[in-house]
Amino acid sequence: MTEAMRTPVQLSARSLTRHFTTRIPGRFLHAKRTVRAVEDVSLDLIEGRVTAVVGESGSGKSVLARMLARTISPTSGELILQGLPIAKHAKRTLDYASRVQLVLQDPYASNNPVHRIRHSLARPLLIHGAHKNDVENLSKAALARVSLEPPERFLDRYPHELSGGQLQRVSIARALCVKPNVLLADEPISMLDVSVRLGVLNLLRGLCDDEHLAVLYITHDIASARYLADETIVMYAGQVVERSRGTALVDEPAHPYTQLLIASVPNPTDPTSQAPVRSEHSSFEIAEQGCPFAPRCSFAMDVCRQSDPPDFKVGEGHSSRCWLYASEPEAVVEVALTERRREGEATKT
Amino acid sequence: MIAEPLDTETIAKVSESPSTETEGSIAPNDVVLEVRNLSVDYGVGDKMVRAVNDVTLKLRRSKVLGIAGESGSGKSTLVYAMTRLLRAPGVISGGAVTLNMTNDDEADSSLDLVTASEKELRKIRWSHVSIVLQSALNALNPVYRIGREFDEVLKIHRPDMSKTQRRNRAVELLTMVGLNEDRLTRFPHELSGGQRQRIMIAVALALNPELVILDEPTTALDVVTQREIINELLDLRSHLGFAMIFITHDLSLLVELADEIVVMYAGQIVERAGAIELFEAPRHPYTLGLLNSFPPMHGERRELEGIPGSPPDLSDLPAGCNFHTRCPYAMERCSREEPALVALGDSERSVACWLHAADSSERVPIELSRQVRTASASAAPGGDES
Repeated sequence: MTEAMRTPVQLSARSLTRHFTTRIPGRFLHAKRTVRAVEDVSLDLIEGRVTAVVGESGSGKSVLARMLARTISPTSGELILQGLPIAKHAKRTLDYASRVQLVLQDPYASNNPVHRIRHSLARPLLIHGAHKNDVENLSKAALARVSLEPPERFLDRYPHELSGGQLQRVSIARALCVKPNVLLADEPISMLDVSVRLGVLNLLRGLCDDEHLAVLYITHDIASARYLADETIVMYAGQVVERSRGTALVDEPAHPYTQLLIASVPNPTDPTSQAPVRSEHSSFEIAEQGCPFAPRCSFAMDVCRQSDPPDFKVGEGHSSRCWLYASEPEAVVEVALTERRREGEATKT
Repeated sequence: MIAEPLDTETIAKVSESPSTETEGSIAPNDVVLEVRNLSVDYGVGDKMVRAVNDVTLKLRRSKVLGIAGESGSGKSTLVYAMTRLLRAPGVISGGAVTLNMTNDDEADSSLDLVTASEKELRKIRWSHVSIVLQSALNALNPVYRIGREFDEVLKIHRPDMSKTQRRNRAVELLTMVGLNEDRLTRFPHELSGGQRQRIMIAVALALNPELVILDEPTTALDVVTQREIINELLDLRSHLGFAMIFITHDLSLLVELADEIVVMYAGQIVERAGAIELFEAPRHPYTLGLLNSFPPMHGERRELEGIPGSPPDLSDLPAGCNFHTRCPYAMERCSREEPALVALGDSERSVACWLHAADSSERVPIELSRQVRTASASAAPGGDES
């Protein structure tokens, strides 16, 4: 705890929430629905630490990254950059962009295919006030930083001439050349080949350790989060359902969703660990009321369907948003089970 | 039309008999697909790129063959060539693919798919061999309701079926993959990715094929959905007894799923072994590197190295072994001569690496000469020679 207090927090999010309004498909006019993409998420990105956000598609992890990069404005909640709150409706300034940089999933989509790498690197440098004469050297330094050597060989290449892993390094170099304090990496390895993924992960780790960047690592691959992260956050349906420091989250998962996620990872060392799921309803279904995971949860109790659980502490620096960890879980379970028996199938429909 | 359940017990016994090599002696039909020295080129002349180079494979009935490899390793090209779905500029430049079919009405027959005519191919496609592609959204027609996908297949291949029979079969198939029959009237965009992939699997199974080829069927899916579909597939296979070729870049998934795995690199098979042997006792440095590229879910956190360098450019392959520029064990010989895929000792596994050559004076590194520990693997005798 004391250590966390001493390490400077670069970027904090306080109760970030983003709702989108959509029409209900198939219904005419007035029928509208609110999609709660991100609901009440708070996190601190700390210098020299990697914070991982794990979740399936649709869990809101990318919306969260974009809110942190301020390319999407939050419905409510607050961002605090280096101790200074960002005014809610303030424009995204150049200064903010130079401190917080975003790296996206697909390097072929995020690098302009008709421009050489030189151009991709020079643009942010010039925009952020580098002198024209320094651009060449700064670009080379940026490429060297992500171990693309010799840099001269890469500057005049086009994106299609590089492999996915190399181009993702270019994307990271481009983000780094404005000297940010915070790097947001949204699924940086999911499009890359297996053999080069570790290289990018080790690069992120190195940037964190050597240059004290605060890194947000967004992924659907819980094993890579375990490998890289100092703090791991699991998101489901826009909410943080579990978070822990270190590897506790994977080693002793508390939330049923995290347990399901871990059981689903192919694990050749333990072929008996097979997720017991098999039903159409286990696909993405979100409750309107109560815990969003309740419809898929095999431990779901009555209380889960009625009210949203708060965070419960399950260990040192480890919390889970699940009623199972309420202070008197036996009592809660007991009440829920009797009520469940009584209501039977009625609640399901 | 109804699934004839194959007796997997007897099949397993037959497949253990050592003399399946000699055709016609015991059970020629034990092998459902045999690929011999298949090569595929893209383009001609100077710009020619060999995407699949001299691949030889054998797939036994009701078994799962996993093909692992990175993008560009030729794994998809290989199955497109096998099924003759390859489009220009891809050309099959050599080899043979034999499909052994069992028919209900006629005598068992076999067909060389490389030389088969379009008419013959039409007959075997879907009823004997079907394929599930990675992107179900692209494979399903967006303006067809799901029911029509089933209806069309059955109408063409089973003209004697009535409309009601076709619908019943479609409902039966949907139930098999765990979907409700009301999905028949939906459009693909109304379904989730996992549901679409289930539909693809159901459509592929519509005519009880003997061989189902799955090209990265779960890559675009979330890990929980992937697990559901994998369990589903294994379930279906044990009921229906079809053989599977499963292509993926995720080696750890294959280890769980497959009976035998081939690892491809730059269009060639570099290692072939039983799933457990491959996982516990890899022999090729590339396989070892791939296995080490997956961060573990247990144990102490330590830095992993992965494989240095980047995946090969097929138009500019190095001399000698294709992998030697990235290989930590590369010897002088590796840059000169290309290793062939040879059997290791008297075991069923084979590897293309000079480290394991009989005349090699080098000591095989300890991590490439491990023994299989698991008791369940003892059925396959002789992990290796070391």
